[in-house]
Amino acid sequence: MSIIRIEKVSRNYKTGATLVKALKKVSLTIEAGEFLSIAGPSGSGKTTLLNLIGCIDELDEGEIFINDTAISSMDKIEKTAFRRNNLGFIFQTYNLIPVLSAYENVSFVLSLLDISEREIKRRTYEVLMEVGLEGMEDRRPSKLSGGQQQRVAIARALVKNPQIILADEPTANLDSKTGAEILKLMKRMNEKYHTTFLFSTHDQMIMDYASRLVQLHDGAIVSDERRR
Amino acid sequence: MKFILQLAVKNLSRYKRRTIITAVAIAVGLMMYIIVDSILRGASLESMRNLRWYETASLRVYAEGYWEDRAFLPLENSIEDPASIMSLVEGEQGVATVRTTFAAEMILYSDDFGENGNMNVKVTAIDPTQDFEVYRFEDTLVEGRFLEPGEMDGLLLGSWFAEDIGAEVGYWVTLLTRGKGGFYEAFDMQIVGIVNCPNPNVNRTLIMMDIAAADTYLGMENSVTSIDILLPEKTDLELAKVAIQAKLPEGLEVFTWKDLAQDYLAIVGAKQGGTGMILFLVFIIAAVGVSNTMLMAMYERMRELGMMRALGMRDRDILLSFLFEAGGIGLIGSVVGIALGSLVNIYLVNTGFDFGFMFRNMDIGFRISSVMRGAWSLSTILKAFSAGIFLSMLVAVLPIRRALKLDIPTCLHHQ
Repeated sequence: MSIIRIEKVSRNYKTGATLVKALKKVSLTIEAGEFLSIAGPSGSGKTTLLNLIGCIDELDEGEIFINDTAISSMDKIEKTAFRRNNLGFIFQTYNLIPVLSAYENVSFVLSLLDISEREIKRRTYEVLMEVGLEGMEDRRPSKLSGGQQQRVAIARALVKNPQIILADEPTANLDSKTGAEILKLMKRMNEKYHTTFLFSTHDQMIMDYASRLVQLHDGAIVSDERRR
Repeated sequence: MKFILQLAVKNLSRYKRRTIITAVAIAVGLMMYIIVDSILRGASLESMRNLRWYETASLRVYAEGYWEDRAFLPLENSIEDPASIMSLVEGEQGVATVRTTFAAEMILYSDDFGENGNMNVKVTAIDPTQDFEVYRFEDTLVEGRFLEPGEMDGLLLGSWFAEDIGAEVGYWVTLLTRGKGGFYEAFDMQIVGIVNCPNPNVNRTLIMMDIAAADTYLGMENSVTSIDILLPEKTDLELAKVAIQAKLPEGLEVFTWKDLAQDYLAIVGAKQGGTGMILFLVFIIAAVGVSNTMLMAMYERMRELGMMRALGMRDRDILLSFLFEAGGIGLIGSVVGIALGSLVNIYLVNTGFDFGFMFRNMDIGFRISSVMRGAWSLSTILKAFSAGIFLSMLVAVLPIRRALKLDIPTCLHHQ
């Protein structure tokens, strides 16, 4: 069953007087529970594609359907609510709030939803334990390593049980060993919760973890390969 | 909401130095506001008291036509049969006294003053038995004695006036004037006392003599130029004015002290306008500080802002979080500003600053001759407190809204 359907999507940016075609009529169908890597060199359109799926950017042409809902039919408020309820994000630079503890960085996502304090506490501790941060709940990001910070970010994305998690170069700021650990963790979560993971990368080692690899070049899909 | 508040409070401690500097700017602004307001309020209260106690009383009755020609101190427009008027007036819970004010030329002699001279003066003739019921010159005598009832040649001078002309108790002067009807009259008077009146306008010009003597010399035939009335402090003067006016026979007009002291009220109004402008500038500086702090905070936390929006946090919640943060800076600044302002105000109210050296030779409009004291105002403190918080939040709106207008990918990739 497809969870995301991308139909002839184009996205252009203006840089001064130049028009940059970031995506050119891209079409792609993603099944629920996939662990999909979008690969390609810098400027190939990976991040743009993730941003469009994540409803944080506007497409110029084509349509993206998530659960058969066309995202261009949603207004700004609907998109915000959609992201809040259905999507998780993992960023290259973690983007944790430095004044909050690991626990608070994760639990705040739940505080945006209509969930009781007790349930927030239970789910936050559970997910922090899942990502291997038990005992580090009270530490602020500055007291955590890069890998640990990215684990907090993964916990933050997972805690609300989203249908889709979008990760933009999640290992780019980590050494290869830590990067591999993070990928393994994401894979494990994908298998355990059947959450659809879409992550962008240009690291070959990382691509190997993907069950499906979509390669982009100059804003167009050049290959779409199921790995295992 | 709990998270929004928690985030705002924690972010306050994020840039401690910046928070402190901004809060100090607000605190200094509010402290200045409290101090300036206290001094102005204190000066105004004391001036109004000194006006009523030494210059105008609460109300004054003039004969019709006197007010229009008051600059010439016309004796022709005088009140006939003041005794009957006094009995009407005193029914209104007040006390009244009669006065006759006239213009004269004062001639000084070299025997006493070292050289001959003359000057134009304003002389106030009072009833020594009744005047102290309305005015408070009783406690101001610094030399000699008060006038005695029916004393034909005694003069009382203000201490600054006496100092200016080099007068001392016992000196003789001649007053040359025109009586009621226009005849010329000259009479010799001896200075019997010097009073140090807290109202500088009075102390600078005061010459008093007995009203019975003035009646004789000026041919007033028992008429007086004014009846001055003192009413209890909290009396509604406009109502009292109407009530007294209704009782008076035709040909008499009642004026409140505010009518009589229009020059003072105009000066105070202008001063408050000027001070308000200075305070406005102080607040603008504090507001720019807060606005700048929030602008810097926004730019430094742009990626964080993008993350929160990407994760589904509503723009209005983000706005609220930053507004609470700005309000927190305002709250710290307000509390510190009010505490500092109140500390200074304790000194101002209890001790005050002695500006006697300045007021002696300069008329600043206030009826204060030396010590300027402050006055407490709860409404000013509450205003300062709420303005500190509200303005801080208000000036933060613009930079936050600007940042929220950027699209999320731009925020996420902000360097």
